[in-house]
Amino acid sequence: MVWAGLRVVLVALLVLVAALVLEWAPLLPASLALLGGVYAAQLYADDARLDGAAPLVAAGLYVTAELGYWSLEERERVEAAPGEGLRRLAIVTLLGLVALVVAATLLALADIVRTRGLAVDILGAAAAAAALLAVVLLTRRPES
Amino acid sequence: MSRRASPRVAGYATLTAIGLVAALALRRPELAVLSVPFALVLAVGLQRASDPNVEVEVTLASDRALEGNEVDGEIAVSAATGVDRLEILVVLPPGLEAADGDDAVALRLSGGDERTIPVRLRPARWGLYDVGEVEVRARDVFRLVVWQRRLGHPTRLKAYPREESVRRILAPVETQAFTGSEVARTKGDGIEYADLRDYVPGDRLRSINWRASARRNDLVVNERHPERNADVVLFVDSFADVRRGDRSTLDDAVRAAATLATRYLERRDRVGLVALGGVLRWLQPGMGLVQRFRLIETVLETGVEPTYTWKDVNRIPPRILPPKALVVALTPLVDPRYVAALEDLRARGFDLVVVEVDPVGLVEPGRDEIERLAYRLWLLERDVLRSRLQGLGMAVARWGDDVSLEAALEGVRTYRRYARLARV
Repeated sequence: MVWAGLRVVLVALLVLVAALVLEWAPLLPASLALLGGVYAAQLYADDARLDGAAPLVAAGLYVTAELGYWSLEERERVEAAPGEGLRRLAIVTLLGLVALVVAATLLALADIVRTRGLAVDILGAAAAAAALLAVVLLTRRPES
Repeated sequence: MSRRASPRVAGYATLTAIGLVAALALRRPELAVLSVPFALVLAVGLQRASDPNVEVEVTLASDRALEGNEVDGEIAVSAATGVDRLEILVVLPPGLEAADGDDAVALRLSGGDERTIPVRLRPARWGLYDVGEVEVRARDVFRLVVWQRRLGHPTRLKAYPREESVRRILAPVETQAFTGSEVARTKGDGIEYADLRDYVPGDRLRSINWRASARRNDLVVNERHPERNADVVLFVDSFADVRRGDRSTLDDAVRAAATLATRYLERRDRVGLVALGGVLRWLQPGMGLVQRFRLIETVLETGVEPTYTWKDVNRIPPRILPPKALVVALTPLVDPRYVAALEDLRARGFDLVVVEVDPVGLVEPGRDEIERLAYRLWLLERDVLRSRLQGLGMAVARWGDDVSLEAALEGVRTYRRYARLARV
């Protein structure tokens, strides 16, 4: 099981490298999905009550995605103002920290409502609906 | 501005959906937590993204430049609303490049900000360039949305061809009636000594050569050559262009035309231009600084326009080719229509000089035996053509990698010196 997981992680890293080398953005979420899949498989196999490391994994995946997309954007030869890179790094770090705090809060909330049976299902359904709403909002924005 | 989602949006939406579906399927809230940062950024970022209001204008310090020289300019940017990252790409036509290597800059603007960005452009070759348009791309702080638009108003930059080094230019066989710098073959009032002759009533006393008169015991007067101007027509071949890398026969021909025009106009000669090719361009012979700029600006428009029509000298108005004009042809000698025009001009009695902009160095000899054989045949055909033109009385000078324009013109001078003797 561990070896299989390591193999998938290796594949995910290879996909990540391929995304950056080939400058093909769709490969980036694929590699992150693979990493998340390994984590999900580990959760499923362990069948622990609630994994406290989930917020760290969430923030890590998010920061990895941000850095990956940033790297792809920097391939275009554009001369930026001095200090712009540091400022962007600070923003990514800040967003990572916010992601960590929000994820931890949600996990704590999930832990509280877990005892109420279907609460996790309702929470998941609400989150899915919110994600769908975000996508619909995006597609409905008129082009100027 | 056109608005589009960055690749992040699709990626984050996919990850969010996968996380939530997996959480539901496996009944693990941790997987929903994994998708929270992505969903949060999508929701907040797309809600906050508003269209930027940016104005950009490019101005150049000068609308004229010499080929290879740099032109300073600036990009004035003003933003009514804040933009986290504004990328400005100066749209440069082929042949024009950013002198410092960067034609794109990125900056952050707050609402009401005005910035000026210096730019330095360099025309790699002569020509007319439309500069002033910029491609503007704005991104929000979450980098979820990209706005893009082309702004600015194009202005024309004229890049004049750089001049070749030529100290001595070709003297025409015949001169015109106006005063100039060329010593005429005829005799009259001038500075250059020509001959002695017997005094006839009416000759000025100052013309009497007293030493010669004393030796002959009769009055003898000096005859002199007057200084006259000449008519020169630069006859540029724009039927064909042989190009390899940065080098092109048409570019070289235009540089030579600009150089010769400047030199002849400095001597107060009248210089005209005919560019014979897909589009026939001409400029009536004239003198002075204004004519120089007219000539160069006419020559800047010269390009190779493909045509299958047979264009000959009959299409050129007679006033463009005045009698006794020196016609300097600048050609790679690869198009038979231009060669026929040269033969036609010579048959009409024009004093014709052919400066062959040698394309041989720009052509690969070939990889296999057949191609190399074809290459050798082509070289032989060029030799035959050159001999045929010389047989018709044209001086043909080869100007290429190993021969400077100065040396080529010197070769023409030598040929014409002997040709004149042969004609006598």
